[in-house]
Order: sequence, then C-alpha cells, then structure tokens
Amino acid sequence: MPVTTEPISLLQQTLTEFGVILVGVSLVTSGALLYFRKVRMERPPIGTFNGRDIVILLAFISVLPFLYGYLPYWLITCLLIITFASALYLGYNPILGRGWTWLGIGLLIGLNYWTSHHLMGTTAGWQLWWAELSILVGLGAIAVSNLYVQGGMKLQYVAWLALGLAVYDIIFATVLPLTDQLVAGYLAHPLDPLLGMRFGIDNYGVGLGDLLVYALFLVAAYKAYGAKAARIAFGLILVMGVVVTAFIPFLFNFLDTELDLLVPSQALFGPAAYLCYLWMRRRYGPERTMAQYLASADAAPAVPPARRAPAPEPASV
Amino acid sequence: MLDTGVRQFRMAMGMVWGRRLNPRSLGRLVDDVIATIAEFGEPGEDAQEVLGGPLAEPGERLEWANRGLSRTARRLAAESPFYARRFTAAQTDPAELDVEGLRAIPVTTKRDLIEQAADFRCADVAAYLATRTTGTTGRPAEVWLSRYEMELWPALGALASVIRGELRPGDIMQVNVSSRATAATHLAAASCRLAGAMCRLLGILAPDEALDSLGQGGATLLLTCPSYLAELVTAARRRGMGPADFRLRRVTVGGELLSPSLAQAACQTLGVPQVEDSYSMTEVIPVTGRTCSQRHLHHDVNTGLTELLDLRTGEPAAAGALGTIVITPFFPYRDCMPVFRFDTRDVARCLPGEALDCELAGVPATSQILGKADHLLNMGAEDVVTPRQLVEAIEALPSAPWPARYRARAADGRIQLTLPATAIAGYGEAAARRHLADALGSPDMDLTIVGDDQAAALRQTRSDLRETTFASPPALVGA
Repeated sequence: MPVTTEPISLLQQTLTEFGVILVGVSLVTSGALLYFRKVRMERPPIGTFNGRDIVILLAFISVLPFLYGYLPYWLITCLLIITFASALYLGYNPILGRGWTWLGIGLLIGLNYWTSHHLMGTTAGWQLWWAELSILVGLGAIAVSNLYVQGGMKLQYVAWLALGLAVYDIIFATVLPLTDQLVAGYLAHPLDPLLGMRFGIDNYGVGLGDLLVYALFLVAAYKAYGAKAARIAFGLILVMGVVVTAFIPFLFNFLDTELDLLVPSQALFGPAAYLCYLWMRRRYGPERTMAQYLASADAAPAVPPARRAPAPEPASV
Repeated sequence: MLDTGVRQFRMAMGMVWGRRLNPRSLGRLVDDVIATIAEFGEPGEDAQEVLGGPLAEPGERLEWANRGLSRTARRLAAESPFYARRFTAAQTDPAELDVEGLRAIPVTTKRDLIEQAADFRCADVAAYLATRTTGTTGRPAEVWLSRYEMELWPALGALASVIRGELRPGDIMQVNVSSRATAATHLAAASCRLAGAMCRLLGILAPDEALDSLGQGGATLLLTCPSYLAELVTAARRRGMGPADFRLRRVTVGGELLSPSLAQAACQTLGVPQVEDSYSMTEVIPVTGRTCSQRHLHHDVNTGLTELLDLRTGEPAAAGALGTIVITPFFPYRDCMPVFRFDTRDVARCLPGEALDCELAGVPATSQILGKADHLLNMGAEDVVTPRQLVEAIEALPSAPWPARYRARAADGRIQLTLPATAIAGYGEAAARRHLADALGSPDMDLTIVGDDQAAALRQTRSDLRETTFASPPALVGA
C-alpha cells in the first residue's frame, strides 16, 4: 500500500477534485448542448457517422498511448496543434467567421504554448496555464462532440464508444498502465488534453476524452429523444462521471505508482451509459434522425453554416 | 463517414488519373448516399460535385477533354485494330491528340461499326454481354460490353440518380423498353438494385397490360420511349384513368422525339410534373444528355466529348446552324468496344453564342435532337424541315394522334405529307392542312390521307417492337 505524502487529506483532495470535475463537466456538456441547439455545422456532402467510424475511432484511441510514449514531445505538440486547430475551426467558423476564428485559435494556442514554457514556476502561473488550457480543451470538446452528432452519430454509437472506452480504460489503467505515464509525463506541456486547475501543489483535472464522451452522450440523447432523455443523460453523467469518479479514490484509497489519484472514469461511465441507452431505446423507441430532430419542436432556430455561392449544376449526367 | 471519404477520394483519383474505377466501391458510395439521405433528409450542399462536376469553366472543360481524348486514343491505338489503322492512316500521334487536332481523325460511322465490328473490340478486355441497336434506322449494330462496364455504369447511374433524388429506396421502376435492349434493361435493373429500389422489366407489352401494372402495381417511376408513352396515354384516356389512378412521380423517356403536346398530356394523365427527355444511344453509352426546362439538350462532359459538326462541311457547327452529334466516350468509362468520334447522325442546332440561363447552364448544350440527318426535308438552299417539326405539328392536332404516324418528303419545294385518317378525325382535311402549314411555316403542302390500316407502315416507332404474352397472344402462325 503506497504511503500518502500529500499535505492535505484525501477527503480534501476528493472534494476539490469533485468541484473541478463538476464545474468542468457541467460547463462542457451544457455548452455542447447549447451549441447543438443554436449552431448548425457544415457537414460533408456524403456520409454519416456509422459503426465503422466507431471501430476506427477506437483503434485510433488504442494506438494513441503508444504514440505518446514513443514519439518525441515536439512531434506530439505539432499533432495536437493540428488537431485542436482543425476542431476549433470547424466548430467556431459558423459563429465567428473565418478571420475571427483563426485569430482566436492563434491566440488560444499561442498563449498556451507560451504559458507552458514561461509560467510554471508558481501556483498562480500554473493556475493561469490551467485556466487557459481548460478553455481550449472545453471549446475543443464542444466542437468535436457537435461535429460527430451533427454528422449523424447516433446515441447507439455513443453508447458503443463509451463501452469500448471502458474496456480501454481498464486495460490501460491496469494491464498496460500507460495512462499514468502519459498523464504524468505530458503534464505542463503545450496543449495537454486535460481540463483542470491547480490548488496548492496538486493538479486536478479531467481528460479531454472523458469530456468528449460526456458531451456526446448528452447531445446524442437530446437529439435522439428530446429534453427528457437529455435530463436523464445529464443525471447519469453527474452521478457516474462526476460523483463516483471523484469519490471512488476516497473510498478505495485509489493511488497510482506516482502517488497520484488516477481514476479510469470510463470504466465506470461506459457500462452505465450503455445500459442507459438500452433502457431509452426500450422506453422511447427508435432514435430520431438529424432530419427528424430538425423538423421537431426541439430544434431552435440555429446559426446556419457559412454558405458559399451556389455551385452550378455539375457537368455530368 | 471516414470510409465514405476514402471512397470519394478513390473515385476522384480514378477520374483524374483516368484509371479504371472500382464499381464495388462506387456501389458502397451509393449506400453512403442513401444513409446520408436517411439521416439528414438530403445529401450535403456539394454532393453534386461528387459526380465529377462542376467543370463549369470552359478552360477546365477543355483541359479535361484534352486529357480524356489523349488517354482514350492511346489505349485505342494499342488495343483496337480498327483505330490503330485509323490513327496510323491519319498520321496522328494518339498521345498528342487534343480537341484542336481532333479533326484529323475521320468520324466513325454506323456502317464502320456494322461491317468491321470485330476490329472495334479491344484486345485487353474480355467481352461479357452483347447489346444490339433496335435497327430503326437500318441494319442493327451489335456492341459488346465488358463485365467492368456493366458494373460501372449502373453504379455511376445509381450514384447520380440517388444524389439527385431521382431514385430512392422503395421506388418501383417500371421499364417499358424493348426487351432486346439488353444494356438499357440491365442498367435499369442494376441501378435499382444498388439504390434499394424495385424494378419491373416489362418490355413493350400491350398498353393495357402495362397500364394495369402502372396503376395497380404501384410503380413510382416509368422508363420508356415516347411512342410507347403515347400509347399508354391514349389507352389511359380511353379507360378514363387519371392522376388518382397512378403513384408515379417521374416519367423518363428517350430514344425518340418527344413532342410538347404528348409531354403535356402525359403529365395531365399520369400526374407527374414533367416528362424527362433524356438522350442516349447504344453505340455511345455511357455518354448521355439531359433536357432542361428551356428545352436545351445538355451533354455530359465527364464521360466523353460531344461535338456538333456542320452537316455540310463537317467542321464545328456555327451558331444557329444544324449539325450532327459526334460523340467520343472516354476511357475508363468505355472499355470493351469503344468508338472514337462516332457520328450519331442525330441532328441538333447549335445554340446562339450568348450565355445560357437555364438550371443546367454550366453544362454545354445544343438544341434538342431534331431528328436523323437522313430524314431532314430540304426545301431549299437554307430551308430545312426537321422530323421534330413534323412530329410536333402532327401530335399537336386536336385528334391527339399519338404517336405521330406520317410519311413526308420534299418535292419541288413542297412538302408532301401523308397521314392516316385518324390523325384528322373530327377536324377535317382543310383545317388540318391549315394547322400543319402554320406549324411548319410552309404553306406549300400536299396532304394525302390514307386508311388507318396503313398507319404503322408510314412511320415505324419503337412501340411497334411489340412483345406478346400468353395472355395477349399474337395471331397464330403455323399449323
């Protein structure tokens, strides 16, 4: 059993973590839902999110830890810059327009890069870095979750994804404990995919992947079955994704080899989300398509995607 | 979504580099479009560009055509004995061939295709299916097609049709074209299979049988030729049928001249908003044309090059002049027995130079097909009466004589026109003469009326290729 060396008690840590996760998850999931109700993203001319995409996504996520482990940090940073810039551009171009979006992306990423290298000597510096990173990560999660759901991702696929990530979390937290090393090794580097805050000498956070799954689950539930399903989904996220995730270390003294508290939260949320989906399908029937959602009273008038001049009829028959 | 992107990329690369496309991948792309429509109600904004467009810029079109010609000519020089000889005789380097230098290659005629058919077959492809022309203009030509072609064309057709909303899962397509038009029927059935639609291949049956199938059978799409459509409309009117008796949402015709009178009557009787008049020809498939709302014929520029050559000079037709349509299908869209500069002898008029403002304005166009070159009536040095003028004038007669049966020839600057008695029934010969003179702009006309028993002999139509069933047997022949 590892020895706790923290200057504050585990209960205090747990409560702080609870507060950080609660604020972060609530803001990101409700932001994603608000975005879904208010903004229409441009979608590909042909294609809708399907089961094969889930398989590809899970395969990619499974490879990620190894990439993080073996690629040099500068290359990881470059890949993260491309990922965040793409996600933020797709997500906020319909609202801000091209110029302002790129300016915002440049500022957010540039500031994060700068603070990562110059402000990590003090708690206040850490807090500024966390605050700025959290905005970046939160906006990214909101954008990507909407990209997927507005691209046709059904609640069924979100449930599968959550279940797959549960298996992933268990494997990479126990059998191949790479997640620990990733979190600890990459902390304080630019564009670290975490949302969180520092208090004292402790960092408290929640991963981008977790935020993305919560946002997907909430938005997909709303699209599929409306506000009542969204309320149930939000409740499940709060219980399994926030309360249980925050308090399980306290209950089980859940420390890792670095004496950090690392909770594989999808291992808790994934099965619950899947069961919740099965219950909703049984209770509410088939999911609504995007077209049916847009035709329903749930769909508020939305900001349409930036439209180009209509193209002439193609030269084909 | 990710694999859809990969498939679109593969298709685009195949088109750009001129390599054989993967029909199976295209079939899956059709599934993707169907899934997209199921989720979103319609494809995304730029879906039409997946079909290869827009190619609306003349410069882009020229570059595309030059590359297609060069690629096709290189292959034909290597694999087609007929064109190897032809390019050698023209002392042309196929790799350097472009639109500008195209005139050095003589046009290919139907006679070439009939008399030297074996030499048109490419050596590097196994033939699979033969399709014959119906022989309405003489001896039928036989065109061999490869398995690749018979898989590629339906996939491309289904993709275009599903994206445009012309074909949907659950549709029932009734096909009333000659059963011997193997390519057309195969393409219709295969396109329906890919789109998740149903297909009923009936052939040219007795119109009442086809009408029963249209009405009680719940067909939503009808594919036929104008003369058979005429028989269907006539039979439906006789039976007192109207839009409430049908579930049709689209009627598409091709292969013959469609008159506005018949189109309007078909819309009123069958309850469709319009009759789509497409242009295609066995010898030059898969290059086709579409008629817009302003009655221009817009020619596909992705799968081939369409030229309009002056009937007298053989040079590109000037604005307002009549020309024959000459088509070169590009590789990799045509594979087994390709033709290069095939002279269809279908006559159209070159449109005036000003920009078009129809819904297909981005696609090059001519007038609608005016008839076969051999059927033009030369009334004087610059005065020509086209088969379309005659069909439209006759089918606009109050007696609704559909399909138009007539014989016409020019003699001493006068039109000598023969019509069956039913064409002027209840209208009178004098009134009919005035109507026709006005419509044709030619007061000098000799009108002869013959018995209805001679009607079919006056002008043969595709609806004459009647097929029988045991329910409607022909007259017994033999002991």
